[in-house]
Amino acid sequence: MTQRVYLDHAATTPLSAEVRQAMQEAFGLFGNASSFHAEGRQAGAAIEQARANVAAAVGAELGEIIFTSGGSEANNTVLQSLREFQGDSLESELIVSAIEHPSVLMAAKRLQKRGTKVHYLPVDRLGQVKLSELKKVLGGKTALVSAMMANNEIGTVQNIAEITRLTHTAGALVHTDAVQALGKIPINVHELGVDYATFSAHKIGGPKGVGALYVRNAAPFTPLIVGGHQEGNRRAGTENTLGIVGFGAAAKQVPRFINQMAKTKVLRDDFFVQISIKIPQIVRNGDPDGLPNILNISFAGAEGESILLALDDDGIAVSTGSACASGDTSPSHVLMAIQADPELAHGSIRFSFGPDNTAEDTERVMQALPGIIEKLRAMSTVHSTPHSTPLDTKRIMKTGREVR
Amino acid sequence: MNDWIYSEEVKDHFFHPRNVLFEDESLFKHNARGIAGNVVCGDQMLMLLRIEDNTIKDIRWKTYGCASAIASTSALSEMVKGMTLDQALAIKAEDVAEHLGGLPKKKFHCSVLGSEALKNAIENYQNSLNG
Repeated sequence: MTQRVYLDHAATTPLSAEVRQAMQEAFGLFGNASSFHAEGRQAGAAIEQARANVAAAVGAELGEIIFTSGGSEANNTVLQSLREFQGDSLESELIVSAIEHPSVLMAAKRLQKRGTKVHYLPVDRLGQVKLSELKKVLGGKTALVSAMMANNEIGTVQNIAEITRLTHTAGALVHTDAVQALGKIPINVHELGVDYATFSAHKIGGPKGVGALYVRNAAPFTPLIVGGHQEGNRRAGTENTLGIVGFGAAAKQVPRFINQMAKTKVLRDDFFVQISIKIPQIVRNGDPDGLPNILNISFAGAEGESILLALDDDGIAVSTGSACASGDTSPSHVLMAIQADPELAHGSIRFSFGPDNTAEDTERVMQALPGIIEKLRAMSTVHSTPHSTPLDTKRIMKTGREVR
Repeated sequence: MNDWIYSEEVKDHFFHPRNVLFEDESLFKHNARGIAGNVVCGDQMLMLLRIEDNTIKDIRWKTYGCASAIASTSALSEMVKGMTLDQALAIKAEDVAEHLGGLPKKKFHCSVLGSEALKNAIENYQNSLNG
């Protein structure tokens, strides 16, 4: 079987060689890092080395990094402790962007159910949070604003520094989910000024099941998981030594990954040009100046899951924002928030590049993709009903996004 | 490594759809046309039938949708070809799913739409006779 082409790095990444080696070397570190004996101290030392690497990768101090089971836990920790910050006052309000990861949105919904007022910030067609809307809803009651640094589906990068400035002026705290941003664009949490930031290992060549939460020194904090003094009493549970070591090794590669992203961006942009030339009736979703490794395209008249499965059969891994792929009835909330045409949202494909992707990979896609789209369009009903006209270019043009 | 979330039958129908119409629908001579679903929801099926002597002599279809939607329409077309209209109307979504070796739970609705398009085509045909 020929080698697979993996273009789903925003979903997860393979372990990098450096991470694999570091984890293999750590297999013997079985001690409980809380134990005073040599076995425990060895594990503890490995964890602290990893913490130093993660802190260095994001510009934090050692004591500001808490290891978690992943990005979702880190996001939940911040949002679930919101009520605690405010002395359980129902008066406190939460502001989240409409395109957050489900772990932020669902945590917000849960708070909402319990009486917290939640504002969902709309975004523009590129996926940028409307700062004018933020200014409107920010007020004395605002406890926390949570806005992701870079979006996982369309790659749009938010102006977190400005969001933080506005929020701090209003006297509230700021959280950013920086899971997708890490390793793609430089991050310095102190320069951004945020109070909390979420990171994950497995998006940067590290293992699954480990992430980190940055908590600014002096920012209020309440643990989500209690019952142990680990992580400075901020996250109970015996440390995932092996995973944390892997995360540390991955974090060490962050500067190299970021350097490689210049090449990745050229590869991605060339790929988009080739698609534009070979395949008519496409729309690019999101901000072209966002993350360098994400390309989200809607193919009018072809459904995303069908495209995904046909590409998969040709050895190519991508993802889709179509409803079918999730078993849901509505397409991606991110594409709906940027006001993508629902018909087009069902036909969206996300190609997300990693540092090891090459021009050979995109050539492989270009051998398969035009034929797949042509076949699916030919058998589609798009010309069969008056209301289903995604191939009507004028209509697509009205969305105001890039059309080729 | 090729763990397909669908059965081999679904995969086979998806990659090798039976009775599908790749060309414009005017290129298939038909006297019954039905449609179900809509593109906004992500699934739409078109059924074209050539009915003679109360029997489906030939059938073509088009589908906008996921693999299970395409496979369901394909399977249904295979099942009803040659059937009388009453026999065809008796085919249930469950029968289509069974023909496909089962569908993932979340995908069952895809097999419903094909049957609806077929039913719509037959109703349109019968209405045109009565009208």
